[in-house]
Amino acid sequence: MLQRFLDPSVLAGISGLDLVAKTVVDGFISGLHRSPDFGFSQEFAEYRMYSPGDDLRHVDWNVFARSEKMFLKRYRGETNCQVSVLLDASRSMKYGSRGMEKMEYAKFLAASICYLAHLQRDAAGLIVFDSEVRQFVPPSTRQGQIMRLLHGIDSAQTGAETVLEKPFAHLVDYLRRRGLVVAISDFWENPETVIKTVGPLRSRGNELILFHVLDPQEIQPKLRGPVLLEDLESGAKMEVSPDYVSHEYKGKMSAHLEDMKSRAAGANIDYFMVDTSRPLDEALRQYLAIRAGRL
Amino acid sequence: MGFLNPWFLGGLIAVGLPIWLHLLKRHKTDPQPFPSLMFFEHREQSSVQHRRLDYILLFLLRLLMLVLLALLFAGPYINRLTAKGAGKKLLVVAVDRSFSMRTKEGTSTRLDDAKAEALNVLSKLPPGQPAQVVALGDTLQAMTQQTTDPGELRGAVSAIKESDARASFGELSRYLRTLTESTKTPLDVHLVSDLQKSGMPPGFTDVRLDQDTDITFHPIGKVQPNWAVETVIAPQHVYDPKRVRISATVTGFSAPAATRTVTLLMNGKTIQSKSVTVPENGRGSAEFTGLDQASYGFNRCEIRIDSADGLPADDRYAFSVERTDPKKVLFMDDGRRQDAQQFFRAALNATDDAAFQLEVLRPEVAATSDLSKYAVVVLNDLGSLPPGLDSSLQKYVTNGGSLLEAIGPGSAVALPRVPVLDEAIDGTSYASREGERFFTVSDVDTGHDVMKNVERFDGVKIYLAVNVGTAKSRVLARLSNGKPLVLERKVGEGKVLVFTSDFGAANNDLPRHYAWVPFVQKSVAYLGGGGSTEQPTNLAVGEYVELRTGNEKGAQAEVQDPDGQRVLSLEEAAQARNFELTREGFYEVRTAGGKRSLVAAHANRKESDLAVIPQETLDLWKATGSSGPVNASGQGTGSEGNTTPWSLSPFILLVLLGVALAESVVADRYLRPQAQPQETKAA
Repeated sequence: MLQRFLDPSVLAGISGLDLVAKTVVDGFISGLHRSPDFGFSQEFAEYRMYSPGDDLRHVDWNVFARSEKMFLKRYRGETNCQVSVLLDASRSMKYGSRGMEKMEYAKFLAASICYLAHLQRDAAGLIVFDSEVRQFVPPSTRQGQIMRLLHGIDSAQTGAETVLEKPFAHLVDYLRRRGLVVAISDFWENPETVIKTVGPLRSRGNELILFHVLDPQEIQPKLRGPVLLEDLESGAKMEVSPDYVSHEYKGKMSAHLEDMKSRAAGANIDYFMVDTSRPLDEALRQYLAIRAGRL
Repeated sequence: MGFLNPWFLGGLIAVGLPIWLHLLKRHKTDPQPFPSLMFFEHREQSSVQHRRLDYILLFLLRLLMLVLLALLFAGPYINRLTAKGAGKKLLVVAVDRSFSMRTKEGTSTRLDDAKAEALNVLSKLPPGQPAQVVALGDTLQAMTQQTTDPGELRGAVSAIKESDARASFGELSRYLRTLTESTKTPLDVHLVSDLQKSGMPPGFTDVRLDQDTDITFHPIGKVQPNWAVETVIAPQHVYDPKRVRISATVTGFSAPAATRTVTLLMNGKTIQSKSVTVPENGRGSAEFTGLDQASYGFNRCEIRIDSADGLPADDRYAFSVERTDPKKVLFMDDGRRQDAQQFFRAALNATDDAAFQLEVLRPEVAATSDLSKYAVVVLNDLGSLPPGLDSSLQKYVTNGGSLLEAIGPGSAVALPRVPVLDEAIDGTSYASREGERFFTVSDVDTGHDVMKNVERFDGVKIYLAVNVGTAKSRVLARLSNGKPLVLERKVGEGKVLVFTSDFGAANNDLPRHYAWVPFVQKSVAYLGGGGSTEQPTNLAVGEYVELRTGNEKGAQAEVQDPDGQRVLSLEEAAQARNFELTREGFYEVRTAGGKRSLVAAHANRKESDLAVIPQETLDLWKATGSSGPVNASGQGTGSEGNTTPWSLSPFILLVLLGVALAESVVADRYLRPQAQPQETKAA
């Protein structure tokens, strides 16, 4: 029943971004109670023998009373990380064939990730970019941070074409502390260029997750006949035939996705292709798997 | 070329639909946004060209479909010249040779004049035009096949002989319709006839002609007064010559009042003469009583009048009578119920012709008598039969005799089964005074000869009836309680008729009822071989004489015409069921069953009425065969050329089906790519 509310087309009907994020994340978390694979937050992790200099507040005095030995309790959630969400606002993100633009889906995804980080007391930040960095919300755990993030996401508008090199060169300056970098984009660029552009973020000790947001019509276009297509970013027009789309384009697109995936894996970057027709929790599940396993 | 429903051509406006779909809508090529064209190439210009070709072909096909649909509904036709228009005609000369054509017109007969007129028509026949000569009577006789030989045609006309048949213009029209249908050729018909009004069929549609038939009338003769012996009522058999009564009706057609002498002749001798006054256009009758001069056997009789008119052939009316002894009816009476014998005798003697003579014997005497000399044997509630009578009756009936049994209470007590009928006797049905008091007759087979004129036994009261089984018999009448009253069964060659009460007045009141006399007379006549079961011997020309009933296998029938010549071939004598009387006179007939009779044939008296068909009727008749106007003389405008509308709808429908098929194929090719991604997805 809840799954129905995670459908992107249903979420698009919800007016407030905070409400969308809350709906997605709360429903998703409540579904995780049955899953033992993922633990997070202030969970007990292990005992460690006391060493001089350790904080006595973490000594388990109950164990000491029974065994007269001092052990320290360690928790997984004791270490917060910095989550930076990079949201692509290029013109190509304006495309949508199912009543929902990719940009809107990307906003939901970004908001959900920010809300999830907020629940975990992680410091979440936001960078909206196209050919330039359009918005920047520094990572923080301060009160009202979530609202700032959601406002930033909500106010993001699609603008110029995607030029990854330029904004990512500046992003390094914004991400001074190692953490988790989540890039949400349609990555209409050569995979080699993409990986080469985002690679430096990984090299500074960040965990990098690429959410490749694509519309089903981009992956597998369905044309009823020869049509005139217009490039959303460059404005170029081209007549294409259904035969070409169903054969050559499909092959090229599959190769492109495969190339993206392999190159990301080669650069130790987590890559996840998101189909806007799929529910949002699939992307969140991917995010949490990485978040729980790596940090 | 024309259209049956030209307003449907307004449907051509729908042609604008594909024009809008293919031409106007096509120019609205709004570009569709797409995120990136990085995977597309510029070589797809050819696909647009392909699409345009597809569109043009589809456009033309759809345009053609709409035009064809509009044409189909409009019902196009072209006027095609028929064979008639091409000048090919078949001349048909029909010469009336009916009985009325014997009428004298001056020194010649009407048939002579008709033949002369027919030759006159043939003399104007253009060389090379096919023609045919037919003789008109009650049936059509083709005197020639279609031929262009004038000599053969003239010879055929000369060979036409007078007949005693009546004219049938309905038969002529039927023949002409068949001829038109078979030859597919327009007909130019010349009817040479006295055009008797009586020759027209009852319904005018029977003389309807096909549209390509042009008929021209050549009237022969004039209306003149005619007297004729119209009918003669005479007995077929004479048993007592003194009681014979013969009546003749003399009719005047278009004739003034006159007194005519009516003469009865028998075997060529004048027997009696009487004067009859015939009113204007009316009838007079003469009655002759007594036929003492009749000799045993068949007698050739004739009623003749002295009319002195133009048609003397109808002044004679032939009929035959057979003088014979009355048939014997044996009434077995044991003396217990004298009233039954008296009732039966009184009823039998009430007939005019005294065809049957009643003899009364006691059962014991009858058991030793030769029953074969009796036409009918009657048993009246004998009770137990004397020894030998049962087997004697059985043999008599099996050999063709007839038995009438009254089964009363005496038989119910003494006999377990009805003699010869062989049906079980199961007690009696007695209507008590306390109960229903009497039974009535509720169910009567009025189609049977015995049950005719008995008025359904209305009012007859049956107080006691014997319950007889019906396993082998046919029930002719039932009582109100469902029990049979009259039964019949055929045994061997003979018949048995059973009445389940007695012929006295004690157990029923039938003998005192008016139904008693016709019941007795019809029963005896039916069993004894007279009355309506006998074939009539006075018939009109054109009627048929029955030669066999179907049971006489291999037996020969024989017919001698008025000239004494045998008219049946060997095959006809062995197989023919009927024989048609074709001329007036006496025919000696022996049926396959061996029965001999003298059949008298006379011409149909409708031929005696020489009244002519009104001109309006002739014009109407002519108009049925010609679409053109009829001129004042009643003759058509001829055949200057004739066209018939020829519908093009079947061909347009065929083309439309082909175009629809082509459109489906082209449209399918065009729409095929939209199904392909789904297949890929499923894969």
